[in-house]
Amino acid sequence: MSIAPYVPIAGLLVLGALFALFSCTIAPLVGPKRFNKAKLEAYECGIEPAPVPAGRFPIRFYLTAMLFIVFDIEIIFLYPWAVSFDMLGTFGFVEMLLFIVTVFIAYAYVWRRGGLDWD
Amino acid sequence: MHPVIPYVVAALLFGVGVYGVLVRRNAVLLLMSIELMLNAVNLMFVTADTSIVGVPRSGQVFTLFVIVLAAAEVGVGLAVILRFFRLRASVETDGVGAATETDAPREADAPRAAVRPDPDGEAR
Amino acid sequence: MNPVLAADITLPHINYGAIAPILILLGMACVGVLAEAFLPRTLRYPVQVLVSLVAQVAGLATIIGLALSNYAKKPTLTAGDALAVDGPGLFLQGAVLVLGIVATLLIAERSVERGGAFVAQAAVTAGSEADAEQARRQPSQTEIFPLSLFALGGMMLFVSANDLLTMFVALEVFSLPLYLMCALARRRRLLSQEAAVKYFLLGAFSSAFFVYGIAMLYGFAGSVKFHDIAVAAISSGKSDLLMFIGLAMLAIGLLFKAAAVPFHVWTPDVYQGAPTPVTALMASCTKVAAFGGILRIFYVAFLDSRWDWRPVIGVIAVLTMVIGAILAVTQTDIKRLLAYSSIANAGYVLTGVLAMQKDGISSSLFYLVTYGFTVLAAFGLVTLVRDQDGEATHLSRWAGLGRKAPVLAGVFTFLMLSFAGIPLTSGFTGKFAVFSAALGGGQTTLVIFGVLSSVLLAFPYLRVVVLMYLQEPAADAPTVAVPGALTSAALAIGAIVTLLLGVWPSVLLDVANSAAQFVG
Repeated sequence: MSIAPYVPIAGLLVLGALFALFSCTIAPLVGPKRFNKAKLEAYECGIEPAPVPAGRFPIRFYLTAMLFIVFDIEIIFLYPWAVSFDMLGTFGFVEMLLFIVTVFIAYAYVWRRGGLDWD
Repeated sequence: MHPVIPYVVAALLFGVGVYGVLVRRNAVLLLMSIELMLNAVNLMFVTADTSIVGVPRSGQVFTLFVIVLAAAEVGVGLAVILRFFRLRASVETDGVGAATETDAPREADAPRAAVRPDPDGEAR
Repeated sequence: MNPVLAADITLPHINYGAIAPILILLGMACVGVLAEAFLPRTLRYPVQVLVSLVAQVAGLATIIGLALSNYAKKPTLTAGDALAVDGPGLFLQGAVLVLGIVATLLIAERSVERGGAFVAQAAVTAGSEADAEQARRQPSQTEIFPLSLFALGGMMLFVSANDLLTMFVALEVFSLPLYLMCALARRRRLLSQEAAVKYFLLGAFSSAFFVYGIAMLYGFAGSVKFHDIAVAAISSGKSDLLMFIGLAMLAIGLLFKAAAVPFHVWTPDVYQGAPTPVTALMASCTKVAAFGGILRIFYVAFLDSRWDWRPVIGVIAVLTMVIGAILAVTQTDIKRLLAYSSIANAGYVLTGVLAMQKDGISSSLFYLVTYGFTVLAAFGLVTLVRDQDGEATHLSRWAGLGRKAPVLAGVFTFLMLSFAGIPLTSGFTGKFAVFSAALGGGQTTLVIFGVLSSVLLAFPYLRVVVLMYLQEPAADAPTVAVPGALTSAALAIGAIVTLLLGVWPSVLLDVANSAAQFVG
């Protein structure tokens, strides 16, 4: 094994850490300190921020997000096929059509059972 | 060059995932830990792919399969956990198994309430 | 595009005829999904039952056709060596389907529990008014049928997968529907959903180990095909360590599905919480699929390194038999008792597998079928003993059933005797087959532990029998529901096969023997 190609990365890491450490420790030491009440309040204007009550939110967000992710990820299989499309030819095309059909079966199920209705 | 560092990183990621599954008691965090384990595997596949003379790019394609299956797993898993949350108002896995007593009131009658605590406490 | 790369891609030849059974199952599952989407609610149930049974019968007929047209004798690899069509593969596919048909009969039953054993709308919160409403009136949802078809199709893919990636995909295809099916019980929904959460989390954990093992073996052999792994294992100059870590990880994933100790902790809770027909499906078909995968991996990919790993798996087999039997003795719930018994039975199959010769394969195949039928019938009977809250599964509630329902108690006694391994039942012939194969393979220690644990395991079975016949029934004893046509058929098939294979085992053993040759 050879460590050599990783040495610059490690060096960069060390440099970054040193810089962060330097700025954090030096700034409070050398900077001027003048306190007043306004500085301790929330920035500029508006009402005091209060924590949002952790209430219920519609389940649709979950459903929509989940459907999005599942269909989104299914499409990943199109990528290697697209890259080597000219090599795979008709065989690849037919197989990919079959794949799309199965995805559409799932889509039809979701659509008919109201998974896509927001209201 | 044998890519040791990616392998080590993958093993560490997998270890972090296993640790997370073993110590966390929140079902969603358990799911995240499992995803971490799967991503460690992806890293291993891609790394192994570069150093292997075999079918070109097969390791990278395996990664795609793992990603898709992980997404399917999350879809099913979050649905199951969500139902569980609606019932229990908590996703803590510590209480799993304690439900028999708090199930629908009719079910708490004498013979079946005696089912738990189990003699086989190891099964918790 | 890189021309060198382009030359390397050869299109796989797919022998559609040889993989037709899997295609039929998965295709009909898609038809089921479409039926679910487009048919009106009232039509769904008859259509789904029909689709489900037609798919499985057609798949079974195709498998028999393939077996008769000499695929068992002249095995082939197809789809770029990803799938093996050989004797054990066809036998296991057939076993999954035969057991799947019986389990489907149990799942489709709607007269024992009015409307079926499954929740009408899984999205209704348990314990609410709407939940009580669905439990009383609405019929079961019918998604369970396409889900079970997907699970069965995945199992068939799993037992004929000839590379690790296909195996992983198949593992997920049959696991994910099962996680959902566990959560669908109509009564005691909290227990059911807890079972699903537990099964899902532990199942996902174990499949992550499985896929990590695949990555290790890919790094070791440069390929995920079983043949290439076997070649890499005997070639010198490669690090064996990587291979053994990979094998250990794979074994964790597989032994989890097979419910072997120490990867068994999910079994009792999930078997208890899941709707009983689904439990029956898991106890029979999932076990067949898991051991199909174990057999293929051990006999094809790792046959030449068996001297190194056999002792480890042997220890697991001993632990599985002994701990399963000991914990079965302490159970007070019939479903948990059957769950621990299924753990112990996993140990017996593992004993047969470890013979590592031809009759090891055939005896394991035989045992899986005999056990599957008996356990299906046993869980089928459990669905019949009911009180107003659903199934009465606590053992104390079964006291005196022999007087109230002599037929049910008689059949259940027969099944318990089969589990205990009394001669003239399939339990005896199955155990005899695996133990003699293990003796032939030099696994005397395993056989000693196996015999001892089956003696121990006879105790809880006989305790149930004693309870049913020799104790007075309680005042509020559960009633025994009259089984509908479907459950009756399932029970009859299970009990008759248990008797038939006990009296005349050669009818199946010969088939298993002629099928016991993996393609390399």
